[in-house]
Amino acid sequence: MGLFLSAHGYDPGPTQRPLLAGAIAGVLATIPAVAILYGFGSLKVEGQILGLPQLVTVAAGWVVMAAAGAAYGRLFGRAANDRRGGWLFGMVSGFALWAAGAVMILPLVSGGKAPAGHASIGVFLSLIAWGAALGAAFPVVHRPLHERLETAARRLGPSTGTSRVRR
Amino acid sequence: MLRVVALRKAILAGAAGALAWEAAIRILGSVGVPVFDLVRQLGTLLFPRGTAVEWWPAGMVAHASVGAAWALFYAYFFWARLRWPPALQGLAFAILPALLAVLIVVPQLQLMHLHQEVVQLHLRLFAAGLDPSTLGSLLLGHAVFGLTVGTIYTHPVGYRADRPPRPQCAPRRSRKRSNGERGRAEGAFMFATGIECSYPTIEQGRWRRDEMATTRHYELWQRDFELAREIGVTYLRYGPPLPLIYAAPGRFDWGLIDEAMAELDAHGPEPIVDLCHFGVPSWLGDFQNAEVARALGEYAAAFAERYPWVRFYAPVNEMYVCARMSALDGIWNEQLRDDGAFISAAFNLASASVGMTDAILGVRPDAVFVNSESSEFYQPCCPDPEIEALAEMENERRFLPLDLVYAHEVSETMLKSIHAEGRAEDYRRFMAREVPRRTILGVDYYEWNEKLIDQQGQKRALGELFGWYVIANQYWQRYQRTMMHTETNRIDASEAPAWLWRQWHNVQLLRRAGVPLVGFTWYSLTDQIDWGTALMDARGAVDPVGLFDLNRDARAVGLAYMHLIDMHRDEPEYRQCEALKRMLV
Repeated sequence: MGLFLSAHGYDPGPTQRPLLAGAIAGVLATIPAVAILYGFGSLKVEGQILGLPQLVTVAAGWVVMAAAGAAYGRLFGRAANDRRGGWLFGMVSGFALWAAGAVMILPLVSGGKAPAGHASIGVFLSLIAWGAALGAAFPVVHRPLHERLETAARRLGPSTGTSRVRR
Repeated sequence: MLRVVALRKAILAGAAGALAWEAAIRILGSVGVPVFDLVRQLGTLLFPRGTAVEWWPAGMVAHASVGAAWALFYAYFFWARLRWPPALQGLAFAILPALLAVLIVVPQLQLMHLHQEVVQLHLRLFAAGLDPSTLGSLLLGHAVFGLTVGTIYTHPVGYRADRPPRPQCAPRRSRKRSNGERGRAEGAFMFATGIECSYPTIEQGRWRRDEMATTRHYELWQRDFELAREIGVTYLRYGPPLPLIYAAPGRFDWGLIDEAMAELDAHGPEPIVDLCHFGVPSWLGDFQNAEVARALGEYAAAFAERYPWVRFYAPVNEMYVCARMSALDGIWNEQLRDDGAFISAAFNLASASVGMTDAILGVRPDAVFVNSESSEFYQPCCPDPEIEALAEMENERRFLPLDLVYAHEVSETMLKSIHAEGRAEDYRRFMAREVPRRTILGVDYYEWNEKLIDQQGQKRALGELFGWYVIANQYWQRYQRTMMHTETNRIDASEAPAWLWRQWHNVQLLRRAGVPLVGFTWYSLTDQIDWGTALMDARGAVDPVGLFDLNRDARAVGLAYMHLIDMHRDEPEYRQCEALKRMLV
């Protein structure tokens, strides 16, 4: 999908900072996700499976979600700035994170243990909510991070796209 | 933006797909076939011991929501990637959610129904829920879902030509700042861009394209004008949507553009108004209708009276392209493939251009007319007399509409065709006409404008063979009119800045050669939709050719153009463009 996106002009371009915006949006989106995890009792269960205290689980979650947000910004590029579709792209990412992280990696690193019952519902909903919030927050977070047009324009002079003659 | 997506249509398609799935499962269940009841599985997560009255609505809402999300995913990422009938596209797409359902979602649903917090996974637990009836139900359900979504989700852009919408332009908001008021640049070289506004019909006149709607200009028009000013352009090619405004003879709905025009009047950029851009209102039919010229004359006069401050007009955009695509290549409007139909369309378009020009001059005698045309060139592949004759004929045909508008005699071959079509009298009238003094020949150029006629007599894209300088020079030699580079862009966004500079250097070279060249245009301000397929299919595919993308974020070429303008606008030869100043007097 990354190749498809970049082939069609979705390279973020010189004024944008998708990694930073994605990391910030990823962290912000973790707030509703943690609330859902807490509400369904999933936080306690995840900590139990990983052998970590709840606070450490949450702290590790922030870091992972910041990285996942940055990866989202990198992958979706310009498309992540779409206010109408962003929430859907985020939800896709949230679903992928759930399928890869909660469904596959978590049991692998914990000797086959996985959340079940209400806890697993909470894990699923929290990642979908995280994704939707990430996608919705990304354009809002990104806008003020854009470099000014005047500054960026100076870098794109008449020799753009040319190569130096060697002889 | 990945695609222009019809959100409501996609959500409706997804919900309908989920409902169709549920109906199929219920019917099978009612005749005793063992089925996997997904709605029950979802509903009983919320009401574990609830009755059907409780779990069915909850399950159905969840099922429909998931269906809507998948349909949106289909619309953004999958729709129209395959040249298959829509229902089959939906069916093929359904393989993805079906696989995920079988491998991940359904096993996880089983875990969610357990009354414990942690479970030790093993293969038996995973496989337990995937019995033949579950697998069969999931595959059937997804097939029904895919077929339904594929059938419903088509034509994400445009509208039925016989039912034009009544779009509302976003209200004008107060402006925080101004980067350049209109009129400041009078007499200076015209650095321009445009709002893409094509509105031909396709599918035998049943479906109308509307690029302004698809690129969300009606919602974001004020932002678009601000961005144009921010980049530094002083002129904007702007084509109000003729099919929506010109409702019937003598009836015009100016409300759609009044505020936008007021903004342009007050703050710029100076508009070059495209009055007819590849289409006419449905009540006028198509370009085979000789009445088009009279009707568009009425429209032009009404427009000039409504907005008397507008001085620059492009009466009919790219007449040759319009006639060719409509009457020779069978793609737009009348969708004919006939030499005679081409001549009729070319004559009617040229008549419309002349009629509109005269009507505007009646209201605004000092109006300036930009006759923008696509610069074309056909190269024979080999010294075969038949191939050479084909190339020569195409190279003559490209001039026909401009020849008529500029009262320039056509070649002998073309003249014979004109006589054969019974347009000799019309031709004489064109040749007797005095062309207004304030007329600019606009020459557009894209990488596909130079073509090779191959050994089979077919046209092939050559890329940039001779370049704008050479091709535009052919137009200059023929018409000896003040000129402007009125359109260019590059479909590959990463190559666009280099293309911009190359075009600009062509402009500079032609000016230095003594051609009175008054302006340059990157077209368009934002990305365009479906031009990769010449608008023939309503797909919603984004062509990343704009100075800004559809989120209104700058592309590299936007920044490069800003730099270019900034670098040159205060140079004496551009600050005071003598050729333009002479014309404005």
